Amino acid sequence: MRILVAVDQHPYSAHVVKDVAKLAGNTWADVTLLGVGPKAMDIGRSSNRAGIKHPLTEKLKKYRRTFLEHFEKEESPYEKRSCSYEFIEIKSGIWEELYVCRGARKDLRIVLRAGNPVKEILAQTQEDGSDLVAMGCYREGDCQWEGGLNLPQKVANNATCSVLVVKEEKQIRKIVCCLDQENISQKSIEMINQMVTLYQTELEIVGLTDKVALKPKVEKNLEAILKYYNARQIKAWIKLVETASLESFISQEAKRSMMALWMGGQSILTKIFPRGKVEKLIQGSQSSVLLLR
Amino acid sequence: MLRMLVHLDADLASSIALRYACQLSQLVDIKLHCVHVEEPDQDAHAPGTGWVRRTWENTVLKTGEFEIAQLIRAEKSSCPKLGAPKMLVGERENEILREIQRESYDLFVEGSLHSFAAKKLFDKIHSRLYRLIPCPVIIVKNLVNIEKVALIVRSEIESKNLISMFLKMFKDSKLKLDLIYCEFQEPGKLSINAKKDADGTLNAVEQMLAENQWPPENCFTIQGAPEEIGDELRDYGLLACPIHHTVSKKSNWFQLLSHIPSPILICWQ
Repeated sequence: MRILVAVDQHPYSAHVVKDVAKLAGNTWADVTLLGVGPKAMDIGRSSNRAGIKHPLTEKLKKYRRTFLEHFEKEESPYEKRSCSYEFIEIKSGIWEELYVCRGARKDLRIVLRAGNPVKEILAQTQEDGSDLVAMGCYREGDCQWEGGLNLPQKVANNATCSVLVVKEEKQIRKIVCCLDQENISQKSIEMINQMVTLYQTELEIVGLTDKVALKPKVEKNLEAILKYYNARQIKAWIKLVETASLESFISQEAKRSMMALWMGGQSILTKIFPRGKVEKLIQGSQSSVLLLR
Repeated sequence: MLRMLVHLDADLASSIALRYACQLSQLVDIKLHCVHVEEPDQDAHAPGTGWVRRTWENTVLKTGEFEIAQLIRAEKSSCPKLGAPKMLVGERENEILREIQRESYDLFVEGSLHSFAAKKLFDKIHSRLYRLIPCPVIIVKNLVNIEKVALIVRSEIESKNLISMFLKMFKDSKLKLDLIYCEFQEPGKLSINAKKDADGTLNAVEQMLAENQWPPENCFTIQGAPEEIGDELRDYGLLACPIHHTVSKKSNWFQLLSHIPSPILICWQ
């Protein structure tokens, strides 16, 4: 699993880094902390020679420390254990003495990109092959993300992988999860599993009905999911929602629960809940939102 | 010994209800009976009487028998008390009602998955079966562990019925019991406090329970919108509450029952 954490300088970014550290502790994911800022200077040399500092470099270093502090040093999969000069064969018959640090079992990268934040975040997800993009946001109102208006909403709409928008610190009591009703992927139920473990919360699984009842296939799927979570000691509730009431249900639940929506290409939710509504959900929700793809 | 009847269909709601009823039968001295009613197609009319009719009924029953047997088999290992279900043919509500009246069951249990729309529960409460049923009903909306139960009370008079019904069924169990009084208000201001309600209902009911050697562990008033209170009560394995058949769909009381995700025990008033 590879997680991209997009950060800026606001407190919600520090919060999302802590959450992702916990998630990474459970999943041993490769993680990239990405800061996006104005194109200004040569950061590599600036702090030493020209004396110019990019506003995000110090924050990124701080976030790295915050991330690593979550792990015991000896047990951390991200800890680089020993560094020394070693001759490494770089081409056939050619060796070079390189300074090599060995021991980190998992990758923690700190990346700073300059340019349009939405484009840069999406480009980094493509380059990394990320499974999940995580970013923070204020609990209420527009997500004024470092000058980029509604940035989390735009990333959520355009990313090809799953997106987690973490609202500022708030106790999550319940994750309400609208999975695809007929084709539920193992990956999506495992991601939900991780979120339940991360936030130590209960789960509510939504079954979409027409006016009469659940389709037999959907009912079988719900039963299988319920068994899956019960076997993992996860308290899972079932709630039936009529397709026509889904929007009002989501807007009501988003006030007090974390919403997890399956928005894959084949998902019925992408038809019922198009882009504009996703933006509105992220903006209006008081709690975190997870879009599964 | 008390007797409970669990209605089964080949669906998720019944599977949950059956598992819940098994759990209940291990906590309370109550005998578990199951019934399945196979409804013939609406267009099909029962032919004649005697051998012809019995043959027709047997054929209809065969269609549902296999799935119900599977449901029972799946639970049998964890619920040895589970016997073979009674299989009936006919209109579902009529047959269940007839069966309850014939065998004088003390409790009826059925599954009905928790729904965002209140209509489903409203229709159920106003159904012919529920209007005429002579015993209390447990509607199992989700599968939960029965560790703690609660009585939700409204007035002293209603509570007398509720308590006598509740004690009849659960007195010998060692379940933890809470007593709750609800005050409805606008959303966003949920609060729970130990102070008694204005009209003294909690005090009076607490005393009734104490006189019956089952004092509640906690006794509190919860204030909030029905959906907030319903959500707050999710940790209970069973919530017992009084209800009138005439309850209106828009009333806060009905909305509360509809928003509770846990099983509810309905005591008819």
